[in-house]
Amino acid sequence: MEIPAALEIRDLSACYGDRKILRRVNMRIERGEIFGLFGPNGAGKTTLVRAVCGRLKPYEGTIMIGGKAIRHGVARQIGLVPQEIALYPHLTILENLQVFGRLSGLGATETKDAIGEVIKHTALAGRLQERVEVLSGGWKRRVNIAAAILHRPALLILDEPMVGVDIDARITLQNVILKLRDSGVGILLITHDLQQAETMCTQVGFLHKGGIEPQGAPRALLDLAFDGQHEIIIETQLPVSVDDEVVLRERGFSPVEGGQCWSVISNSPLHEITEHLEQSGLATKEVRFRKPGLDSLFLHLADQPGTGFGGPRR
Amino acid sequence: MILAMLRVMTLGLLRDRGALVLAFALPPAIFVVFASIFSATTSDKLDLKVAVAQLSSTPASQRLEAALRQEPTFEVIGAVRSNRAEVESLVKRGAADTGLVIRGELYDTGAAPFEVLVDPSKLMAGSIVSGRVQELVARRLPDLLLSRTAITFQSVIGTFTPEQSGRLAAAVEAGARISEPQGATNPPGLVATASVGSSDSSGATVTYYAGAVAILFLLFASLQSAAILIEERNSGIIDRIAVGPGGSAVVVLGKLMFLTIQGVVQVGLIFIVAQLVYEVDVIRRLDLWLLITVAAALGASGLALAVATACTTKQQAQTVSTFVVLICSAVGGSMVPRFMMPDFLQEIGRLTPNTWAIEAYYGVFWRHETLPDVVPEIVSLLAMAVVGTASALIVSRRRLRF
Repeated sequence: MEIPAALEIRDLSACYGDRKILRRVNMRIERGEIFGLFGPNGAGKTTLVRAVCGRLKPYEGTIMIGGKAIRHGVARQIGLVPQEIALYPHLTILENLQVFGRLSGLGATETKDAIGEVIKHTALAGRLQERVEVLSGGWKRRVNIAAAILHRPALLILDEPMVGVDIDARITLQNVILKLRDSGVGILLITHDLQQAETMCTQVGFLHKGGIEPQGAPRALLDLAFDGQHEIIIETQLPVSVDDEVVLRERGFSPVEGGQCWSVISNSPLHEITEHLEQSGLATKEVRFRKPGLDSLFLHLADQPGTGFGGPRR
Repeated sequence: MILAMLRVMTLGLLRDRGALVLAFALPPAIFVVFASIFSATTSDKLDLKVAVAQLSSTPASQRLEAALRQEPTFEVIGAVRSNRAEVESLVKRGAADTGLVIRGELYDTGAAPFEVLVDPSKLMAGSIVSGRVQELVARRLPDLLLSRTAITFQSVIGTFTPEQSGRLAAAVEAGARISEPQGATNPPGLVATASVGSSDSSGATVTYYAGAVAILFLLFASLQSAAILIEERNSGIIDRIAVGPGGSAVVVLGKLMFLTIQGVVQVGLIFIVAQLVYEVDVIRRLDLWLLITVAAALGASGLALAVATACTTKQQAQTVSTFVVLICSAVGGSMVPRFMMPDFLQEIGRLTPNTWAIEAYYGVFWRHETLPDVVPEIVSLLAMAVVGTASALIVSRRRLRF
């Protein structure tokens, strides 16, 4: 028997008053899959989440969660991890889990069992009696996720789950999310961290102008956009002069990170580009060469007029 | 699910010692302060400081001074002065509440023999002293009154005969020997004052302020506690809960339950103090007390939730809460009894939960009213609870969409 998708959206349109935010959006997240959703601010990510959570009635289209059409306001199949730490700071980790277990519709015994399972996934054992207010950012983020999966949702929505955490906590959180994916949960990951998404997501989608386009497996999208090309990133020794800028732009470079870093996606060999720059008298501090990533794709889309992308360049 | 929300609020309160003290120790303490202040000021045993000047010393004025010094309502401060300016200065400086100038011969009907000097901010003290002096003269110096009255009579009916004058002189002389009224031998005064209900006026005030402080704190505590809704909204907690089966209604209803229980405990503490310290008979009317208290706590909670859901920031909620509590308490009679207000304010006051709660408590514990008598107040409080909670449910649901 076919296992229904964690989330399936067909031709979803949603609006606030006369303003149409989503236009015939289609997407599908299988169980055990992570879908990374990106897009500039105001593109409609929050609106999409609200529609999926049943808080916004779609103008048209259908949303199926775990194979069932979502009914307005009833969404027990969803676990939501907001960007903020949505926990009670004066309660301990255990008390928070107990409260959110009951609030997600579990009975007392079910909640107890669920907590036992969730602390294994999120490695929270040992600090259960500590109040959330005294935890570090990484631990709070872990509890934030744990509180959303107690009722074993088919779909977990993670809204920027790693904002403001250090590198160690980031790795731990990544492992927690991957473990959840392996346990069969479908995950919708909303993030601006494209490198992280590239390593974690099985599918990604760019939301802009009300639609998700392009979407697909990260590698497939990158191959499609930059087939056989590579990205060259240079860092200049001094701030770039007007003459230097002309030279760089002639070679197809775009500025990143405040003007001393420039990048280009090209088929040309690296030595040809660097030699040309040296002949032009541009002093480089560092030259990097890599395969284009999702961030490059994001920049590529941003350079296309009318996409609405105005997000920060990495 | 609602119980889970109740648990969150309860643990939050128990772990915040400051809030705990404010919630449960402050209301009885404020009640004791209010009851002490107002039971003293509304009784007839005021302790007014009176500066006295005697412009000419006569036997009659000396007798009056002695009577004034024995009067329990007054405290004649210092020695009796000999000029008006000194007394006026004492009143102006606030060293005396009022001044009393005994101007001259008390038998002289051409001018008022007494002048009461009063600061404009203490006009009531002037009226009390004026009335008390007149009463004192009638009670302790009846010969003076008789003499002044006889002079007035003679101006109307003509000079007394020698025999009448002789009998009048004897009566005046006899009156001068009287230090206290002789009961049946004296005719009754024009006005007799009778206290209705219990004669303990301070008891009435204490009962009044038990209700007044109770509703004041119900509003205050509910509005403060309900503001946590805004924090929950900002931290995403409501977003998280809203995707669950209970939706945002769980948050509102859980808080309604907590605020109501907290309110009942707060009011309970106030009335325990009223029972133990001021002998307000709460235990005998416990059923009605509970009914009124639950209705009042529900009403205050409903209002608080409506305000908290309508406000977008905590600062906004605090400002609106302060405004609501102050206006309702001032107009509704929690600070000053409504009968002392202008008519239009009394009418506005009828629309406040303070008036409903105060009238219900006062009716039961002082006027010994029964359930049918307080049904209108209880229904009004419950209606406020229903309207407030419904508004909070609708607004919180709407807010999730934007």
